[in-house]
Amino acid sequence: MEFLQNISQDFYKNIVAQQRYLFFWNGLKATIAMALIAIVIGVPIGMIIALIKNSAKENKKLRWAEIICNLYVNLIRGTPVVLQLMIIYYIIFRSSNISSILVGGLAFGINSGAYVSEIVRGGIESIDKGQMEAGRSLGFNRSQTMRMIILPQAIKNILPSLGNEFIMLIKETSVAGYIGILDITKASDIVASRIYNYFFPLTVAACIYLVLTLGLSKLIRILERRMAKSDNR
Amino acid sequence: MITVKGLHKSFDGNHVLKGVDITIKKGEKVVVIGPSGSGKSTFLRCLNLLEQPTQGEIWFESSNITDPKTNIDKVRQKMGMVFQHFNLFPHLTVKKNITLAPVKLGLQTQEEADTNAMHLLERIGLADKADSYPNMLSGGQKQRIAIVRALAMNPEVILFDEPTSALDPEMVGEVLELMKELAKEGMTMVVVTHEMGFAREVATRMLFMDEGIIMEQNNPQEFFSNPQNPRLKDFLTKVL
Repeated sequence: MEFLQNISQDFYKNIVAQQRYLFFWNGLKATIAMALIAIVIGVPIGMIIALIKNSAKENKKLRWAEIICNLYVNLIRGTPVVLQLMIIYYIIFRSSNISSILVGGLAFGINSGAYVSEIVRGGIESIDKGQMEAGRSLGFNRSQTMRMIILPQAIKNILPSLGNEFIMLIKETSVAGYIGILDITKASDIVASRIYNYFFPLTVAACIYLVLTLGLSKLIRILERRMAKSDNR
Repeated sequence: MITVKGLHKSFDGNHVLKGVDITIKKGEKVVVIGPSGSGKSTFLRCLNLLEQPTQGEIWFESSNITDPKTNIDKVRQKMGMVFQHFNLFPHLTVKKNITLAPVKLGLQTQEEADTNAMHLLERIGLADKADSYPNMLSGGQKQRIAIVRALAMNPEVILFDEPTSALDPEMVGEVLELMKELAKEGMTMVVVTHEMGFAREVATRMLFMDEGIIMEQNNPQEFFSNPQNPRLKDFLTKVL
């Protein structure tokens, strides 16, 4: 009994007193905002890069675009995300007044785009080449076939990996504290250092991340099931 | 209708077609046979430019389709193709598979295409599968629907690339039956196949390809009963 009382007392002191839960609440909002911005930026970037790379196999005019895409993907995948975040914040946006959350979202989006592009490319390549040939033989051009025949099938294949990428993305935003964003991780750090107790704040932060990522994977699974139903596979 | 002049095709230094010349007239049923690796599928796939020829010209009606300025997508609307592995679109229903191209290419309204698709499906006895997805069908049903999908574009010619090779033996008949019907109705057909019985019955002209050239061509009677080229003789004794 005493043990439970101690815990609830600690919890009160750590989280409730002086409205410290507000730190976590604001941190949660920042984390979600960054993740959403990053997805909105990252998915189109990834799509476009995957499509450019795929078209470049046939269209020699896209050779240069492909080289630039490869450079981008290698650069992003080969350097730590914290460093990319700091470069974008402290160097590229140094003298601007854009909100740091926006910059953070942008940085994570640019980062995510490289990974999404590889996922989408894999998805496109997983579709039997007979599908492209069948579409072309009916008189569709390359991009029509891509849009109406290849991509709808590819999306089903990439959904699990894409969901995984979004989960990674949520967790990766935890380094946003490096550019002074008060996200969940930073919030727990601040609370902890105020009350000289790390156990509760860090546990609470971990739980919030868990709820976010588990919820997201549940959502993705529902989506997957719904798509699988539509073609009775 | 189709004229091929000096067609060559190489894949990374592998010289598959070494000078093919042929003219195919409207209404002809040309059946191409030959050992595997003889280039017969490559030849067929060059006809609608699924393979880009390395050298030579292909004319379809009045357009040189090997000319980069020709809109190949427009030409392909008039050249149907049926594949060995059917290549139906698994994410679309049977009816959608058939109507997608005519509708999206602006040739028919959705209603026209739907009516047309149902007519075609009734004809092959698969009207009840209109709302099924391809993966619920047997191989023979898939291939017949693939043929109907090509037909829905009202093509001038249909190219068949070993249409029965991926089928279980008991399903070959139903596909060949449909192809025979098309032949009877006057469809121009170029067929790569190993079905000699079908060839004998349907072909107006037989081609024997080996080593990347047309080694012999003749009407089916002469072709089968009186082959000239020793390679063809050898091939026929093996397959007949």
